[in-house]
Amino acid sequence: MKTLFLAGALLKAWLRSRTGVFFSFLFPVILLLVFGSVFGGGAQAYNIWVQNLDLENGQPSELSSSFVRALENSGVFSVREVPPSAEIHSWVRKNLPPFTSYRVIVIPENFGRRAIGRGIQVRTGVILSTLDLVVRNYGEFLTENDLSAIENGRLALENWRKMLPPENASILLLTQEGDQAAPIVRSAVAGVVQAFNNLLVGAEPAVQVEQVSFSERSLKPADYYMPGYIAAFIMTNGVIGVSSTVSEFRRSGILKRMAATPLSKRSWILANLIVQVVLALALMTVMLLLGRLIFGTAGIPNVYFVLLILLGALVFCTIGITIGCLLRDAEAATAAGNLIAFPMMFLSGAFWPVDIMPELLQTVARFIPLYYFHQGLRELLVSGEPGRAAGAFVVLGVLACIFILLSIRLTKWKEI
Amino acid sequence: MMVRKVIEVKNLVKRYGDILALSGVSFEVYRGETFALVGPNGAGKTTTVEILECLRIPTSGEARVLGMDVTEQAEEIKRRIGVLPQEFSTFERLTVEENVSLIAKIYNREDNVRRILETFGLWDVRKRMFGSLSGGMKRRVGVAMALVSEPEIVFLDEPTTGLDPQARQDLWQVIRELRRKATTVFLTTHYMEEVEALADRASLILSGRILVTDSVSKLISRYGGGFRINTRGRKAAQLLRKLGGEVVSQNGEVTAVFKSQGEALEALLILRKSGIEARMIEPSMNEVFLNLAGGRINERGEMVP
Repeated sequence: MKTLFLAGALLKAWLRSRTGVFFSFLFPVILLLVFGSVFGGGAQAYNIWVQNLDLENGQPSELSSSFVRALENSGVFSVREVPPSAEIHSWVRKNLPPFTSYRVIVIPENFGRRAIGRGIQVRTGVILSTLDLVVRNYGEFLTENDLSAIENGRLALENWRKMLPPENASILLLTQEGDQAAPIVRSAVAGVVQAFNNLLVGAEPAVQVEQVSFSERSLKPADYYMPGYIAAFIMTNGVIGVSSTVSEFRRSGILKRMAATPLSKRSWILANLIVQVVLALALMTVMLLLGRLIFGTAGIPNVYFVLLILLGALVFCTIGITIGCLLRDAEAATAAGNLIAFPMMFLSGAFWPVDIMPELLQTVARFIPLYYFHQGLRELLVSGEPGRAAGAFVVLGVLACIFILLSIRLTKWKEI
Repeated sequence: MMVRKVIEVKNLVKRYGDILALSGVSFEVYRGETFALVGPNGAGKTTTVEILECLRIPTSGEARVLGMDVTEQAEEIKRRIGVLPQEFSTFERLTVEENVSLIAKIYNREDNVRRILETFGLWDVRKRMFGSLSGGMKRRVGVAMALVSEPEIVFLDEPTTGLDPQARQDLWQVIRELRRKATTVFLTTHYMEEVEALADRASLILSGRILVTDSVSKLISRYGGGFRINTRGRKAAQLLRKLGGEVVSQNGEVTAVFKSQGEALEALLILRKSGIEARMIEPSMNEVFLNLAGGRINERGEMVP
C-alpha cells in the first residue's frame, strides 16, 4: 500500500515535469509521427527518369511508349520524362539536385523496330526448330509431298530470317554510384523487360509468383517498425531518464529524506520500478493507438506482448538505477546514459531492419539487449506466438535478474 | 516526570577513509529537552546526527536512541523519530500537502496531516508546489514532515542555516512550541544565538571532539567570561576596582568583569551617577565558544580566529 502510494506520488511529480514528459512521452510520439510519415507510405516507389529516343515522326513509337507504360504499371517506379533532345549526362547534372537518388533509363533510337524485328526473328527461330522437331520425330508418318512442302517453307523462312537485324534491342540503365537501391531497381527493370520479351515472342507465362504474407492479418510497414520504437523509448526512458532521476534524488536530498523514514530500500526501488512499468505500458498504449489510427497498423498486442513490455521496462529501469547509483553526479549520469542508450538504439536495428546493416554490425546487434527486446516484441505483434519470442524472454529475464540484484546492491540506504 | 536518557553516545568514532570525522564523541540527551550540538562546518555535527538517525554506520563506539542500538534496531528507531535533514529538500513538483501526506502515509499517520499543516501555518499554502515556496516556508514544510508522525525525538540538522532573520525567528517559534509539548529536540547549529534562544543543554563540538557538554545557562556562567562593563578613564577604573571588578585598562579603554549580573548592574548605576558613560555586555555563547574553542564562527559556519 505504502509502496503504491509512493509510486503514485513519484508518478504525479514526474507528470508535472515538462521536460521529463516531453522526452519520455511526447518525443517518442513525435518521432513516430515523423518517421511514420516518411517511411509509412508502404512499399516505396523509386524515382526513375526515362528518355525515350525512339521516335516516329516526332512521336514516341508505339512499342517504346508501351514499355514506359509497363514501367509505370509495375508499381515499383514513379516515372518522369527526360526530353529526347537532351544530352543525357549534362541534363542530369543540370536538372537533378545532388544527393538525390535517381536512375535514368534511355530508350535508344529504333528500339521498337529492333525489338519487333528481333521478336519475329526469335519466333521464326522457334518455328524452324519446331519444324525440325516435327520432321525428326514424326517424319515417317508424313507423305513425300508434305515433307518437301515443309522443306521449301523452311528454306524460305531461313532466307527471310537472314534479312532481319541480328542484334538485340537494348535499353540503357544509368545509376548513381553508391545508390543502395540500384540492385532493386535493376531487377525490377529486368522484370519488366522479361515480361516485355515474353509478349514480343508470344510466350504465355508458364510460372507466376503469387505473394502471400505469413500473417493472416494484413500488416502495414508501421507494424514492422512500431515495436522498434516502443522498445527503443522504453530503453531510453530507463537508461537515460531513470539514471538521471536516481542521481537527482540523491543530489536533492530526497533519497536521504526517504531513507530517514521507516520505508525500506526495497519498497523505494519497487515504487520506482512501478512508475517505469506504468510509463512503459502507457507509452505502449499510446504508440499502438496512434499507429492504428494514423498508419492503420493491424498488430494486436497479446498478453505475452504486454509481459515482454513489463520485462523490458524492468531491465532498462534497473540498468538506469545501476548507472544512477554508480555515477554520483546527475550530469555525468545523463551523459553516461546517452553514451549507452544511443549506440544501443542505432546498432540494435530498432529503427530499421537488421538485415540491411553490414554483417559485422549485425553480429554486434546480437550482443545488445535492446535487439532482443524489439525483435521479441515484433515477433509477438506479428505472429502472436510466444514461442517465437522465447529467446527474448530468456535474455531479458536473465538481464532483469542481474540488474534488479545490482540495483538493490548499489542503492544506498545508509552512508548516502 | 522521570528524567530519562533518550540518547546515549559513548566514544563514537567515524572514519571516512583516511579522514577521522568523529574521534570519540560522548554525550547524553534527556527526554523532553532541547539539545544543541554546536560547532563550525566540518566539526562532525551532521555525521553525529546521521549516525543517530541510522543513516550512517559508526566505525566504533556506541550510540543508543530510545534505548536501542542504532546499528541493530534501525527500523524501530526510524519509526519513532522525526528527521529534518541538512539543506532539506523534497519533491519540488508535489504540493505541500502531498509531500506531508507522503511521509504521513509511510508512518500510517494520515489522520495527522491536517492538524500538522494548521499547526505550522501551512494550511493556506497546502496546494502550492514545494518548489515555488520561499526558503523559510520550505524549511517549515521540512519540520512539518519531521513531525507529522508525532515522533518522540525530532532531529533538526541546521534548521535555520541560510534563512533570513525573519524566517529564522519564525522557525525558532515553531521549535519553542515543540519543547512546550515535551518533544525531545536534537538540533545542530553554528549560530550561538540559536543555542541561547532554543536549547536547554548543549555540546560544543570541534574537529570531531566534544569540548564540553552542559546546560546553556551553566556554560554561559562558567565560560561566558562574566558580565563586562566597557568604559573610559582613570577615574572609572578606580571606581570599578573598588566595586570588586577585575579591571583591565589599556590606552584609557577600561574593561571590568563582574561575576554576577547584580554586581555589574550596580557598578553601571554608580558610574552613571558619577557622570561616566559606560555599557554592559552580558556573557553569551559567543564568548563561551571563543573561550573554549579559541575562535569564532562566522555567518557561513566557518571557524575564524
